[in-house]
Amino acid sequence: MKRLLWLSVLVLGAGALVAPLAAGSSGAATSRPSPVHSATAKGPHAAKFLACMVTDTGGIDDRSFNASSWQGVQEAESATIGGKYLQSTSESNYVPNIDAFIAEKCGIIVTVGFLMGDDTESAAKAHPSQKFAIVDYTYSPSIKNIDALVFDTVQDGFLGGYLAAGMSKTHKVATFGGLKLPTVTIYMDGFWDGVQYYNRKHGTDVKVLGWSEATQNGSFTGDFTNQTKGEQLTATFISEGADIIFPVAGNVGLGAAAAVKAADNSGAKVNMEWVDTDGCVSAPQYCKYFITSVTKGIQSAVKSAIVTTAAGKFKGGNYIGTLANGGAVLAPYHDFASKVPAALQKEIAAIKAGIESGKILTPTRSPV
Amino acid sequence: MTAIPVVRHQRAAIDRQQAIAGIFVMLGLVDIFVFGFLADKGDAVFTFTLTGAAVSVPNLNLAPGPVSEGLGALSIVLGLLYAGLKLTSLSRRLTAATVMLAFVVAFLCWCDAGRTPLPFVSLMQTTMLASIPLVLGALSGCLCERSGVINIAIEGQLLLGAFAGAVIASSFGSIWLGLFSGSIAGGLLGALLAVFAIRYVVDQIILGVVLNVFASGLTGYLYDQALVPYQNRLNSPNTFSSIKIPVLGDIPIIGPILFDSTIFLYITYVMVALVHIGLFKTRWGLRVRAVGEHPTAADTVGIRVLFTRYRNVILGGLVAGIGGASLTIGSVGSFGKDISSGQGYIALAAMIFGRWTPLGATGAALLFGFSVALANVLGTIGAPIPSDFLLMLPYVATIVAVAGFVGKSRAPKADGQPYVKS
Repeated sequence: MKRLLWLSVLVLGAGALVAPLAAGSSGAATSRPSPVHSATAKGPHAAKFLACMVTDTGGIDDRSFNASSWQGVQEAESATIGGKYLQSTSESNYVPNIDAFIAEKCGIIVTVGFLMGDDTESAAKAHPSQKFAIVDYTYSPSIKNIDALVFDTVQDGFLGGYLAAGMSKTHKVATFGGLKLPTVTIYMDGFWDGVQYYNRKHGTDVKVLGWSEATQNGSFTGDFTNQTKGEQLTATFISEGADIIFPVAGNVGLGAAAAVKAADNSGAKVNMEWVDTDGCVSAPQYCKYFITSVTKGIQSAVKSAIVTTAAGKFKGGNYIGTLANGGAVLAPYHDFASKVPAALQKEIAAIKAGIESGKILTPTRSPV
Repeated sequence: MTAIPVVRHQRAAIDRQQAIAGIFVMLGLVDIFVFGFLADKGDAVFTFTLTGAAVSVPNLNLAPGPVSEGLGALSIVLGLLYAGLKLTSLSRRLTAATVMLAFVVAFLCWCDAGRTPLPFVSLMQTTMLASIPLVLGALSGCLCERSGVINIAIEGQLLLGAFAGAVIASSFGSIWLGLFSGSIAGGLLGALLAVFAIRYVVDQIILGVVLNVFASGLTGYLYDQALVPYQNRLNSPNTFSSIKIPVLGDIPIIGPILFDSTIFLYITYVMVALVHIGLFKTRWGLRVRAVGEHPTAADTVGIRVLFTRYRNVILGGLVAGIGGASLTIGSVGSFGKDISSGQGYIALAAMIFGRWTPLGATGAALLFGFSVALANVLGTIGAPIPSDFLLMLPYVATIVAVAGFVGKSRAPKADGQPYVKS
């Protein structure tokens, strides 16, 4: 009897601690201490337009697409617009989190990530008056009450690959992904293409480890959270002679950065390129290893989706970010501004112009 | 009454031997027809030197066709001998090891044929790194279960160790303090396990699972509330850098694998030796095992059963906590949610596969570490295997290992049974 009693006490106790986190339904998961709830404090009539964001499993602090999306929400916040978010700790949280925001009557619900595509679609169809925006997913045919924001990152990935090929001393560069999703492999396709383009132009034979556009097969860590795997994989690449690493794996990239740092400490000259956001801003401790970052303009796209919706001009349909419209950008060189040869910088600028004008094609096999 | 089971037992043993021989022959056929005949053109190249090493070892170039076919033929012959002959237990194990090794080599030749050279040293280095938390977790399991308490909470101990290691090392600026507190944090969860399992005789399997969920929830909550906003203060520790042991570290091939790593690898060596000698060569260990096998008898001769169990469960927690700390301050530095990602469960499987012995568990953990490293390397050399299958590899190895051997391993007799003096 005593045994049972203690067991149930223990289970209840643990359950009480864990439940709010796991379900992501209330309390801890709602928001960091920012002036989010002030709207409701003023009473029902002063209610703001609420922009509500559901994160992917990477969490709000993934230094990647979730973080960028949240920055976009925060930038959109104003006297009349409030922002809040729910974190998904697993894929089973997507639907409950979306439903929670529908019940809260959010002005727009921003879902983040390719994996939420189907759940967002069914929620949008079940609630045709609720407005949505989704990052990294498109629908064909497009759906009226969803703003689908995608980014043609094959373009800046191409530039990143070209730059990496030009900067590599060992003539080997490497890339790897978190999960094998189109939004991940499109970067890798671009990177691969950029390296091949460099090889054609300069008659070199720079090899890409970890991905081949032709076979669509390569190295993946299996998630966006396990940094140790990113570190081990990067160490393997370095031991195979790669000296520029391009992780396309959100937070897992930090593991890659740790491996690059360790290699640097032991005397090897290894650098990397960051993905999604400007690495020197989102992970400044490793800035000196970042040649550049292959970013996508999630932040501005999310912000403009929210602001236009709040102003009553919700568009719906698909938006594609490119080099030309600022939706896919190669970040500044930061510490490498003086280390990237001027000639190479010029070539990059010329290729950028070529891609924007459509003279240089950036083929991709990844469907986006 | 007794005759029938004996006969049945013998027949089962013969069936088992035939079945294993059949598996050997099948593996040999796969070697020949898949890895031999279907290999791409070009040699498989294995490199044995890291860039910048003082002594360079020549590369090994193997032509996949003849090598795989030779190894396959060897496996088939061994399989037939295995079915026909009466073998001692040692030669049986040696045969099995040879066939498995032949299979792995043929597989690697097939994967690497005509592609980027396969870096053997870095493959083994990753194996060691990936094994550290598994070995320490499995040792924790051995310490607990040998005294008769089931430790499912290894996962939670790793997680708390990783958390405390990162946070303390970051806020006090001392990685050694981080290592120490990581161990303590694991020990605290061990103490919790001990109190509930021994004092309040809660079902130990349920208890372990609950403690894991508790550790995951607690660290996840603290991560969101404290570590994210105060990232720089609380979650950016330094990490241990690798220490090269003089002379030994310069030996070609072996040196960089075994003697040029962080302090955690050396701690792991010491722990394996300590736990093995402690459990099997000392009076202390004899008493621990007596408590795990037959607590009533142990009690009768004056061994303090409950005290022994408390002590061992907490000790186990301390060891697993070190393994947890290796996940943060031993490698990537910062803590991330659920950073242990199921390695505690793999450690548990390694302990069972290793038959509750420290050396066996270490071997099993190395096997799992190897499959993780192999999946990494095969991805990077562009092996013709879809990446999803590579990601599955460690888990498939776990299932095969546990399913294939679990029938033969025996837990300590009083494992999981609370001792209540009557």
